[in-house]
Amino acid sequence: MIQSIILWLISILLAPFFAAVILKVKAFFGGKKGPPLLIHYYTVIKLFQKSSVYSTSTTFIFRMGPVISLCASAMALMFLPIAGYRPVLSFHGDIIFILYLLGLGRFFTIAAAMDTASPFEGMGAAREAYFSIICEATIFMILILFFKLTGKLSLAAYFSGSGTLDLWETAGSPLLFVVIAFFIVLLAENARVPVDDPATHLELTMIHEVMVLDHSGPDFGFIEIGVFCKLFFYSAIVSRLIAPFNPSHPVLNGGVFIASILLIYVAVGITESVIARYKMDKVPKFILTSFVLAFFTTIITLEFLK
Amino acid sequence: MHLFFLSIFVVFAGGISAILLNRHFTLMKSVGATFISSGCLIGLYFTSIQLFLDVPADFSANYLDHFIIAFHIDALSSFFLILIFGISMLAAIYSFHYMNQAEKSLATSVNYFFFSILIISMALVVAAANMITFMFSWEIMSISSFFLVIHSHHAVENRKAGYLYFVFSHVGAMFILTAFGIMYSFTGSLNFGEMVLLTDTAKIAVFVFAFIGFGSKAGVFPFHVWLPHAHPAAPSHISAVMSGIMIKIGIYGILRIYALLGFHALLFGEIVLIAGMVSGILGVVYALGQHDLKRFLAYSSVENIGIILIGIGIGMIGVSSGKPMMALLGFTGGMMHVLNHAVFKSLLFMGAGMVQHRTGTLTMDMLGGLLKKMKITGSTLLIGSLAISGLPPFNGFVSEFLIYCGGFEGTGLDRMTLISIILAIVSLAVIGGLALASFTKVFGVVFQGEARSSQAENVDEKGLTMLIPMLALAGVCIFIGVFPRMFVIMAANSMSSLGIGFSPDMLGQFIQLSGNITMASAIFFAFILAALAARIIFYRGKTITRSCTWGCGFTQPTVKMQYTGTSYAASILDFFSMVAPRHEDHSRVENCFPGRSVYHSRINDVAELYMDAVVVRPVLALFARLRWIQHGDIHLYIGYILLAIIILLFFV
Repeated sequence: MIQSIILWLISILLAPFFAAVILKVKAFFGGKKGPPLLIHYYTVIKLFQKSSVYSTSTTFIFRMGPVISLCASAMALMFLPIAGYRPVLSFHGDIIFILYLLGLGRFFTIAAAMDTASPFEGMGAAREAYFSIICEATIFMILILFFKLTGKLSLAAYFSGSGTLDLWETAGSPLLFVVIAFFIVLLAENARVPVDDPATHLELTMIHEVMVLDHSGPDFGFIEIGVFCKLFFYSAIVSRLIAPFNPSHPVLNGGVFIASILLIYVAVGITESVIARYKMDKVPKFILTSFVLAFFTTIITLEFLK
Repeated sequence: MHLFFLSIFVVFAGGISAILLNRHFTLMKSVGATFISSGCLIGLYFTSIQLFLDVPADFSANYLDHFIIAFHIDALSSFFLILIFGISMLAAIYSFHYMNQAEKSLATSVNYFFFSILIISMALVVAAANMITFMFSWEIMSISSFFLVIHSHHAVENRKAGYLYFVFSHVGAMFILTAFGIMYSFTGSLNFGEMVLLTDTAKIAVFVFAFIGFGSKAGVFPFHVWLPHAHPAAPSHISAVMSGIMIKIGIYGILRIYALLGFHALLFGEIVLIAGMVSGILGVVYALGQHDLKRFLAYSSVENIGIILIGIGIGMIGVSSGKPMMALLGFTGGMMHVLNHAVFKSLLFMGAGMVQHRTGTLTMDMLGGLLKKMKITGSTLLIGSLAISGLPPFNGFVSEFLIYCGGFEGTGLDRMTLISIILAIVSLAVIGGLALASFTKVFGVVFQGEARSSQAENVDEKGLTMLIPMLALAGVCIFIGVFPRMFVIMAANSMSSLGIGFSPDMLGQFIQLSGNITMASAIFFAFILAALAARIIFYRGKTITRSCTWGCGFTQPTVKMQYTGTSYAASILDFFSMVAPRHEDHSRVENCFPGRSVYHSRINDVAELYMDAVVVRPVLALFARLRWIQHGDIHLYIGYILLAIIILLFFV
């Protein structure tokens, strides 16, 4: 239990570092030096030292938004097995709880955006609400497959111990599609290219960044940490899927985990460097691809399992 | 049982005294509301004891020698009685300040009268133990609610809504009568208990007819057409009762018939599940496209009926394929959603009533920024919106969680069933996402941002008796969400009369699920408190400035620039344009300096769109051909009657 809590704290603390890796990769592709790897820590500390400006249009919901989205993401990490160790919390159906908890965070992020009366933020909110619907369908499709394979409904059963290895053994190569589907969901849910461009300068083309335009100071710091945690959550799942090994030595185990998770962040960085953001009407089709992949995998796996 | 009748008489006394006192507006309202709510309170007391004792109560009396009026209150009836009495009590309290048009004193007293009749008839429907009692109460329920819908009968669209509701409820009643007729022709008895004697084919026919009949009351797609018309027409507390409980009586009917038939064909589960998925997805898509707050809530009821039916369908499939855990989870989830939807939907309708009172409009794109002035209404509606989107730690999550768990239990089934189970889980996920989108739209457009018209400016919050029920319901939303245990057991017990046959150890495993939700919610609340404390520390000693919203460089922002509800929903609705075609009207932009232009859009409901062409016109054409029978000659009419009697006597 103590070990799980320490791992949970470490994962929250390391999440900003990993997110900086993406910036480094993008800088490498752009032939630049890029910001230091600790950039996000500096940003968050700077934000916490500042004060805020609130729009006269806003209400208490605008202030609750960052708090709830941070709590939801941080709590989701509590259910996540880190490096194959048991998570802090786990129960039957916890994955549904997590998905809906992240939904609660999304509700408040959207509500905080609508609170500002800004047309741009409303536009971002509408997109966020739209794209997440398809992502959720994909994740539930994958869950059906996982439940069918393991008979369990919790993250701990899929990603701790030899759980992931067993998944590969029973399902085999079709699980590769699940990895791709999950990666697409990762890109969509965390506002990365090609769904959303966090580095763009035009508000009209943003999704997540435009929703938090009016936040400043510690509030914005909360949002940033929440975003890093959420990205880490999805990345850890995908990394566990590609590296389901469990070396008995703790240092080796941790090394494999960090290496695989770095791989995912580098992959995100490469994706951002080589692909341009899709046109908005193309994005749903892109995310739907992940649903089709997950559905396809489920059907073939079920057929071969019989 | 005496307490049950006492509560009904007290409610009835409230209705009658309102009529008698119709000249004294405030006195009439206070007497009516007090009697009705205290009658409901007695009913609540009776039902709680009934649930606790777990012994069915019976009552029967002979009426005119031939028909036996019989009542039987078991766990399933008690569950619905709790909802009926609980929500009606709050609605009666709410009505005191809501009905504020003193010049319409007589209409208000009539409203109280029919309101009391509606409560009584709903209670009698769920307590009925034979066909005569059931049909009798059912018809009173339909007719009393019809009079409540046409409360503001001066507006032509309200009369139209009333007419539509009348037609639908009676066509539905015809289907139920057909089902009862089939039962009677096989058993020769009006008792519900002898239904098991039917042949299997007859049982399927009975179920299908009863499903259509009850489904039209519950608002199952495509029989939901009356709902979005009737709810905006009725006063808000009536909409709360109709949408919160009355449509659930349709669900009660489906469950009761299913239990009585004692025939667990897979087909029943499949029918219910598919109906649930279609109603759920289409309901929420149409909800997203609405401009009127109450119409929106009506479509959202269609969606939630869909979720309930998905739960019940999963339960039925679990029963017929011998998976008791799946059955238990599905049925309990469905029943929990019946309870939860009654709570948050009546809360939302009451909030909509408050908005209408204070601003005079329900058009969402005319409102905005209400939260700043209407803090209690806004906060309770926020809780209602979170709960109805199925988010933890609110009550909607508990029921959806149980239904999901039930669905996942069913993934071990065979091909065809498996496909429908997979579709059910995915559609629940899609419904959840769409519900979040539609409720963020409504809350964001109505309560947040800036006022879009002069009506939404300078509003205030008045009416203590309107606020108290809303606060109570919001409290229930959180309470069930955090401590679902007692309610889950209640829901599970109410289904035990269906004879699923679950063992006590299964119930233990099941209660653990609710314990986990409590634990996780408690931790989440601790997180929020910690984050809020951190926030206070970070802001300590800093000056917080207020300014206008960042307009991305634009220096002259106006409230007109805000994102409207229509634009918020547009891209999602484009995705569903196959089933939700958009109708647009706008003036063309001409010349270099175009003048004023107008834009109007409407999302068409395919059921409504094709009902006219597919059902109404062919039926009218058929009857136009038979016009010659109705010639107006009284002699021949008497001849018809004689002929009919002779045929019935000698040939049938």
